[in-house]
Amino acid sequence: MSLLQKLKNRVRSKSIHVCFVDVGSCNGCDIEVLACLAPRYDIEQYGIYVHNNPREADILLVMGAVTPQWVDKLVAIWEKIPEPKAAIAIGNCPISGCVYNRRDSYIDPPAAKHIPIAAQVPGCPPRPTEILAAILSLAPTIFENYEEKKR
Amino acid sequence: MTTYLYEKDLRQMKYNILISTRHDLMVREIADRLGVGPNQVRLAMIRRFDMSLLENLPSRYEQGQKMADAGSRVAKELGCELFSRFIPFVEEERMQALCSEVRDMIDTGLPEEEAITTGKRRIREAILQ
Amino acid sequence: MKKTVDVSIPIGPMHPCWKEPIRLKCETIGERVLRTEVELGYMKKGIERIMRGRPWQEVMFLAERICGICSVIHNMVFIEAMEGISGIAVPPRAAYLRVVVNELDRMESHILANFSYCYTIEHETLAMYLLNVREIVLDQLERITGSRINTAYMIPGGVRFDITEEDAAALLAGLARVEEDVERYTRMFATSYLIALRSRGVGTMTREKAIEAHAVGPTGRASNVPECDLRLQHPTYQKLGFTPVCRTEGDNFARNMVRFDEVMQSISLIRQCIGQLPEGPIRGGGACTAGEITYQGEAPRGELTYYIKSDEYGRIIDITVRTPSIMNIEACTHHMINDVTSVADVTSTFISSDPCVACTER
Repeated sequence: MSLLQKLKNRVRSKSIHVCFVDVGSCNGCDIEVLACLAPRYDIEQYGIYVHNNPREADILLVMGAVTPQWVDKLVAIWEKIPEPKAAIAIGNCPISGCVYNRRDSYIDPPAAKHIPIAAQVPGCPPRPTEILAAILSLAPTIFENYEEKKR
Repeated sequence: MTTYLYEKDLRQMKYNILISTRHDLMVREIADRLGVGPNQVRLAMIRRFDMSLLENLPSRYEQGQKMADAGSRVAKELGCELFSRFIPFVEEERMQALCSEVRDMIDTGLPEEEAITTGKRRIREAILQ
Repeated sequence: MKKTVDVSIPIGPMHPCWKEPIRLKCETIGERVLRTEVELGYMKKGIERIMRGRPWQEVMFLAERICGICSVIHNMVFIEAMEGISGIAVPPRAAYLRVVVNELDRMESHILANFSYCYTIEHETLAMYLLNVREIVLDQLERITGSRINTAYMIPGGVRFDITEEDAAALLAGLARVEEDVERYTRMFATSYLIALRSRGVGTMTREKAIEAHAVGPTGRASNVPECDLRLQHPTYQKLGFTPVCRTEGDNFARNMVRFDEVMQSISLIRQCIGQLPEGPIRGGGACTAGEITYQGEAPRGELTYYIKSDEYGRIIDITVRTPSIMNIEACTHHMINDVTSVADVTSTFISSDPCVACTER
């Protein structure tokens, strides 16, 4: 491993930019992600920044079962995120569709059908600490030695 | 031809809004009142209104029935304020013109029923055009 | 009449300030917004269609998942509607506990809404203060119901868990902290020059417009429509001697101040409930039967209407939900935003009406 790669690994594990997109949930998961911003959980001490801008994000949090309007737009958002990137499914909805996955509904789950999902946090909704733990445990493994793996 | 980047065809989604129970009742009531089929009313709504207005139509319709056109019987029959302010099918200026036309007809001696029928036809044309 | 439009500015569906996806298309002349068109469909799941033909035991949880922020009131209105159909009586202790949980939910929702507003006008300090206070309220909610967001606390004929002496003491202690903090933040909000410049006189809606668009909740009450508070008609609230908060300005500032005042009011309501809490059981009996009802309750955002038709086994045949955000988003986009002087105020005006897209589309 080169010195440059080591430096990159270190920097990347301390600076994770997060973007969240709600693709049709009950917004219970949205407010739990927002609660992560609260000084009580203080995600910035771990170097996680929430900008909600896909063009500068590393990690995309996907919430909600996929509604028809999002089928193409979710892919567009995913493509806008620069490499290296990962998507985390928050809550039951992007994993299975949860209670909405019934006859007569308009949704099209799971989210993994549309974009590659790296990790899943089940729960309806999951607690902020669980979301935080998922981001923190996933980011270093995905972004470690990214340039070497690509080669 | 201009192609839009993010614009989507919203007609199916607007139709989905209009088929829930409360909306359906309202659409049928309006269709009965105008004397046209419910699908024509739906089409006029989908063409004119944006999605949040569509979602809000039943409560606007209820408010309209409670409060609109309290003053005169002719205006109530025609739905002057109901179809312009509460359910904005027709612009207010045009609706005012149509209503005053009907009032003029009554003033010049035409029987009230006949004038209202003519007025209703004009309003129907304005809504469906 | 055709109006000349310079440019149509799309805002959304993904916006750094908004928690939920919605798309506004603002047609502008220079900086002035003429007309706003709303594009929905980002959250349309068709919950009402899923609910039909299912037993109430399932619909109860589906009703709660219409909206995550105000899940308690969806639960409460659905359950009280089913009780109204079947003639089930609620023990007095359970009725008071329902009010306690409902008011806690209202507090967290209002604080979240004011957080969003402060975040949108880039007053991040106050936003973070408010978000931290909200955690204390959520702790109390979790202490009573066992869950932070989707609580499923109410069931026909009562509530799930009783409240012990310790719980009540801890609840009151938590509320004292919240009261102290929110009082300070209200003062900060009311006296800050920066906030006044961004909020006072922006996005005004008159009483006539509010009534025409049927604006409800804090949005309506900020425009001087106090009678839109449906808690006036709820039997338990009538016992508690409730009077709605009301302001006359109808601008962004008034809407936020109404929410701040309602948080304080909720605290005093909970204190009253805990003080008067009668002894007795928390669960009665009863079975859900056939019937038809239109039931309304006051959600944090305004009036919430359930129309329910059930069969003799308690299955839901037909259901329609009319949520407050439908009216408020419509009133906001067609009456408030048209007044704002610059495009920069569009987002903050929109957020000030406390829009909840998940409610709107279901």
